[in-house]
Amino acid sequence: MSPLDIGLLYGAATLIVLFSGMPIAFALGTVATVFMLGFMPTASLDTVAQNVFEEMSSITLLTIPLFILKGAAIGKSKAGADLYSALHAWLGRVPGGLGVAVVIACGLFAAMAGSSPATCSAIGSSGIPEMRRRGYSPGFAAGLVAAGGTLGILLPPSITLILYAVAAEQSLGKLFLAGIGPGLLLVGLFAIYAMIHHGQEATRARKVLAEGGPRSPILSEERFTWREKLQALPRVMPFILLLTGVMVALYGGIATPSETAGLGAVMAIALIAVIYGAWHWRDLTPIFGSTLGESTMLMMIIGMSLLYSYVMSYLHISQGAAEWIVAQHLSRWVLLAAILVLVVVLGFFLPPVSIILMTAPIILPPLRAAGFDLIWFGVVMSVVMEMGLIHPPVGLNIFVISKIAPDIPLKDVVFGTLPFVLLMMLAVVLMCLIPGIATALPDWIYRK
Amino acid sequence: MTGFVDPATATLPKPRGPLGFVQGLLDRINGLAALAGGIAMGAAGLVLTWEVVGRYFLKIASDWQDELSSFLLLGATFMSAGWVQRRRGHVGIDALAHVLPIWADNIRRLIADFLTFAFCSFFCWKCWTLLGEAITDEQTSDSAWGPPLWIPYGLMAVGMTILVIQLILQLLLRDGARARP
Repeated sequence: MSPLDIGLLYGAATLIVLFSGMPIAFALGTVATVFMLGFMPTASLDTVAQNVFEEMSSITLLTIPLFILKGAAIGKSKAGADLYSALHAWLGRVPGGLGVAVVIACGLFAAMAGSSPATCSAIGSSGIPEMRRRGYSPGFAAGLVAAGGTLGILLPPSITLILYAVAAEQSLGKLFLAGIGPGLLLVGLFAIYAMIHHGQEATRARKVLAEGGPRSPILSEERFTWREKLQALPRVMPFILLLTGVMVALYGGIATPSETAGLGAVMAIALIAVIYGAWHWRDLTPIFGSTLGESTMLMMIIGMSLLYSYVMSYLHISQGAAEWIVAQHLSRWVLLAAILVLVVVLGFFLPPVSIILMTAPIILPPLRAAGFDLIWFGVVMSVVMEMGLIHPPVGLNIFVISKIAPDIPLKDVVFGTLPFVLLMMLAVVLMCLIPGIATALPDWIYRK
Repeated sequence: MTGFVDPATATLPKPRGPLGFVQGLLDRINGLAALAGGIAMGAAGLVLTWEVVGRYFLKIASDWQDELSSFLLLGATFMSAGWVQRRRGHVGIDALAHVLPIWADNIRRLIADFLTFAFCSFFCWKCWTLLGEAITDEQTSDSAWGPPLWIPYGLMAVGMTILVIQLILQLLLRDGARARP
């Protein structure tokens, strides 16, 4: 059998086993082991456990549990609500300021916690009721928070970018920096859309009022005194300092990425203990419980995905598939579009972690050959995978929103997210036209 | 995809009879393993924090911190694998659950659970083999610190064993089956 035939068989077996409902980690391990048995020397089976150990003991990968711990500590505290309240007070006078506050709060929280569902849950639980109380439509409020939550996989410390750095053998520091520009672009696009949408809803409300209808709360202005604005700051500033401190430690040459993860986790736990008094057993149990659950699940997927990739490489499946793609002589933009469509389709079924580790060996060589910057591509791929978080059938953030605002029909939430999916597509187009949105910052910092 | 279960808040089925008793015992072991995992995770954070403080501020050479934290985090991952499985926290694709009739879906779930058990048993066996070799050959890591490798291999083997026992119980108790409406 040619490598391409084995590859097709490998792909088909993977689909069958994944759709059987087996946990993704063990499904990938099963396929890899069966193909080791069928197509590799028998002795290779003896190295299965050692392979997984060696791949998983990468210190870069082991930053993931600690970044999850940092996110859980902040996510399980009241930091999200406080952050949102402070921004609301400071942006209250801006037209559509409430929506803008939600977007910025999502961006900042995502950068602190590094998790999309945690961001949705923390900001949405106070942001959605407040937006609805102020007359925003439920679908828009839900869509805004769901989309804002996706920034968690783009802004540093993004677990998705950590995995991409390992799979693509790219600098993690550069990738983190490359995520900042597109992250800010998305924050900007979402905020502008929030202002425009608020303007449209306010115009409609004025029309209803002029025709003798009821006065919508969206027309009332909320004012905060300077005292109220200043009172909102002390609870938020330490977390902003943590966010900037971690970045300074990383890029100031004080700490490596793994040390930054450890330092960030310890500082986050210390901060919630000091600010919210969360140092009792009952406060720490949910933090460590959810961290263990998420990180064990993810690390198992990562370990087995790496075994899966190892088998693909040993059997020349990834090389054969990459050569086949190159032999199609697609123009570079058609190649990129085809790969991004593949990522979107895979996003229907798989989490970003698996998509990156399973596809990287196949898609990266043709992209490199076509002259694409792999740092830039990592960020583009992350934005595309972000879309998967807010569209069915996976749409993890949609389900988080449904949990925190169960009275908003799922249909409204899905339609509420659609404009944001379009904005993300616009961001991808802008990044293709102006690659510097992603690459300028890492190029500038690393050239200094 | 099945939703990300938050193990800290998941509600667990409480089986009865002899298997329920065994599950009760395993829950205690899982609880202790998860506690150890949580402590290991916190300890890894402290070790890495000390690495920064020691190297940057106190000018102390760092030669063991990365490896120790790596062992702690690997240990936390494998030791809590059974605890996560008890809560069905290892995510899978459940698209067919919405399409198949209940009887067919239950067969699918049984096959999925059995395949998971088969793979994990094989992997567990290989972990014990690895541990045996590490002890017999007195293997150590290649670093300057050079800790014995039976430590991480042992944590992998014990963690996988707990996971396999959990899978056997879930297979016997059929706690993955969908109830008829």
